[in-house]
Amino acid sequence: MAGSNEVNLSESKRVVPLNTWILISNFKLAYNLLRRPDGTFNRHLAEFLDRKVPANANPVEGVFSFDVIIDRSTSLLSRIYRPATGEEALPSIMELEKPVTGDIVPVILFFHGGSFAHSSANSAIYDTLCRRLVGICKAVVVSVNYRRAPENPYPCAYDDGWAALKWVNSRPWLKSEEDSKVHIYMVGDSSGGNIVHNVALKAVESGIEVLGNILLNPMFGGQERTESEKRLDGKYFVTIQDRDWYWRAFLPEGEDRDHAACNPFGPNGKSLVGMKFPKSLVVVAGLDLVQDWQLAYVEGLKKAGQEVRHLYLDKATIGFYLLPNNDHFYTVMDEISNFVSSNC
Amino acid sequence: MGPYDSAISTGSSTSSPSSAAKPSDIDGLLAGAGYKVRSTELHQVAQRLERLETVMVNAPSEISQLASDVLHCNPSDIASWVDSMLFEFNPPVSIPSDLSDFSDLTYIDSVVSPAINQTVCNNSWVEHHTPEQQQQELTHQLTVVTAMEEDSGIRLVHMMMTCAESVQRGDLPLAGSLIEEMQALLTRVNTGCGIGKVARYFIDALNRRVFTPQAPCATGWSNENEILYHHFYEACPYLKFAHFTANQAILEAFDGHDCVHVVDFNLMHGLQWPALIQALALRPGGPPLLRLTGIGPPSPDGRDSLREIGLRLAELARSVNVRFAFRGVAASRLEDVKPWMLQVSPKEAVAINSIMQLHRLLGSGPTRVSAIETVLGWIRSLNPKIVTVVEQEANHNQSEFLDRFTEALYYYSTMFDSLEACSLQPEKAVAEIYIQKEICNVLCCEGSARVERHEPLAKWRNRLGAAGFRPLNLGSNAFKQASMLLTLFSAEGYCVEEHDGCLTLGWHSRPLIAASAWQPLLDTVINHNNLL
Repeated sequence: MAGSNEVNLSESKRVVPLNTWILISNFKLAYNLLRRPDGTFNRHLAEFLDRKVPANANPVEGVFSFDVIIDRSTSLLSRIYRPATGEEALPSIMELEKPVTGDIVPVILFFHGGSFAHSSANSAIYDTLCRRLVGICKAVVVSVNYRRAPENPYPCAYDDGWAALKWVNSRPWLKSEEDSKVHIYMVGDSSGGNIVHNVALKAVESGIEVLGNILLNPMFGGQERTESEKRLDGKYFVTIQDRDWYWRAFLPEGEDRDHAACNPFGPNGKSLVGMKFPKSLVVVAGLDLVQDWQLAYVEGLKKAGQEVRHLYLDKATIGFYLLPNNDHFYTVMDEISNFVSSNC
Repeated sequence: MGPYDSAISTGSSTSSPSSAAKPSDIDGLLAGAGYKVRSTELHQVAQRLERLETVMVNAPSEISQLASDVLHCNPSDIASWVDSMLFEFNPPVSIPSDLSDFSDLTYIDSVVSPAINQTVCNNSWVEHHTPEQQQQELTHQLTVVTAMEEDSGIRLVHMMMTCAESVQRGDLPLAGSLIEEMQALLTRVNTGCGIGKVARYFIDALNRRVFTPQAPCATGWSNENEILYHHFYEACPYLKFAHFTANQAILEAFDGHDCVHVVDFNLMHGLQWPALIQALALRPGGPPLLRLTGIGPPSPDGRDSLREIGLRLAELARSVNVRFAFRGVAASRLEDVKPWMLQVSPKEAVAINSIMQLHRLLGSGPTRVSAIETVLGWIRSLNPKIVTVVEQEANHNQSEFLDRFTEALYYYSTMFDSLEACSLQPEKAVAEIYIQKEICNVLCCEGSARVERHEPLAKWRNRLGAAGFRPLNLGSNAFKQASMLLTLFSAEGYCVEEHDGCLTLGWHSRPLIAASAWQPLLDTVINHNNLL
């Protein structure tokens, strides 16, 4: 057992840069301490260990941020990132919600990852990622601090995402000048990707237009053990066991992994045929053990006649997009930029 | 803190906590993720992570329980965090006697928060409560603001900024007319809550600055201020957090010492000390001899209010069998205090406790040596075991008025917002007066009259580092208990965060108050042989 662990460790070390390996291994080990076998979660220790950064209304590398309360009753916060126009040195409170200037200004609704249980909108890794997205997409980014499992299981995260979407859609200061509408894209990694899909479903039902979904290593699953899960179990930072734990924490009690939230194109899934679902960009990492489920998601969209661009990154592991020290990172950032700027 | 420092230095070659790494040494990408790892140590840290994983794999069932009981410190420093975990899960075979007893850590858990069931502390997390009655009332109160009111709020902010800018430029006539316009606008806006309330206080401050600049608005040490302070203490958790966190750190620093001496830079009503006295009373092995020196303003009416507080604390100490001695030091300003007044004995373990006092020393006076340097110098000369520092997490000491105004607007808006959640009256109303006086001092006063010179934690780190202090980590125990107290006693929305060994308390992700602990760097010149 110890021997095969050593092999596992050196395998993952060979495919990612050393600082990435340290970052993700540190998360992995810390997270192991937080999940209790009885399904509860050491939230205090999780918050203690999570590296957070405050919002900063002073532009740093051309981006400034501020936090807003979207729903007081659930303490739903979002962090908003905007490009600094360069005119004002320090945006006053006035300028924070100054109307966006430009014919078309994309607004990205961002859902951070963390398998529904970890991280926050003000986690350092996601603050950094959102700042990058502002520059890459010339967009305003709204990062949603959704409620997490196991304290707040399904459907809390989706409800919060939906509340945030409605809020963004109704901000006068986010309307593009061309058509006086808010141009919304949704982006999410891991559980955030799953939330993107589910909020898009609500959007379609309710008539709010979302221009595109971007899912980075989205978190999907199912009862069946797929080939990729068996092959890659424990090899690249993630185990089937921990995936199971997070699904148990998120899904309603008594439900299995074929619940529609986990397996959208499974036996309990909803048909998307005929729906005006947003176009999707789905990024799959070749060393992610749930890739078979992510590929099933792509296939599901295609079969329902939906527009989907599938990007498969052979040697990428989870979290490759957190540090800009590998080719996959730059490939994906380019793809995201094209996806958001193209208006077909 | 104590045991782990030893563990780290014997087991590894990572840097000692006291040395500051140059920015260029640290891996830049990991820094962006909130972690400090030297570029030259990446391989070592990776190796340690591998070892930790192997160890964790071999002890799966105990892991989460162990994790709960361990004292975690400064997660930004991955190397030392991993080392502390390795030590916890895989202790060396022969353990020196002073490192083997970790029961200290759990006793602190139960002692400092006596109201909380022991099992709740250790095994399960405290569930976030659904919004309570008062929260629902609050939501009702903050009903959707009509479009017109929203516009008025934005207009007020715009006008305030323009007014502040004209004050900075010296265009007082324009500032004056703006103030009159704003006061008219205020009558049409709800000033009971939200932006209206904040605007009312800030416009008032601008009014004072422009029209009555010579009127005093000191938040100096005075008995009136003690009452305001007490109400602020009751209305919101900032001061409780400060006291609680400092006490936890002091308790840990005093471990193993039989004669201890706490110097409180601002006694007020002594609200911080009953909890510490009780915690010391319950210490295994018995309480130490506790001396408390309380600094405060001289009483105007011939009363010795310091002594009265001291007597009450002595009563409490007696009731829990703690040998206690109190001494009051009356001074108009902190910089008037001289170390000999404190009568520190070389045999005692000293804790210096400064709750929102150090920033008052930052005004530049006529003397060459700055007050802050003088005071930090003599603190260091007392060789305390710990210096607990709590400060407002704000940048209110900038020389440009507009910058100060803008920062204060953000900061106090957040603070007023958090106060909305309080339903205690008259505590809430009086707490607002306390805050208002602070705002006035920040905005209306200059020179030596301006004492509310708040600076952010990053600046305090530099100052204290330069003055010869090294940071002590406030660990996961203090964090956890602060979080638990907040969920039990305060509204949802407050959050505790850990930043590089320090703890902050904020409202909805904006830190408002920061607590840190320090120790003088060892100095070969200072003779510390006489101390325990």
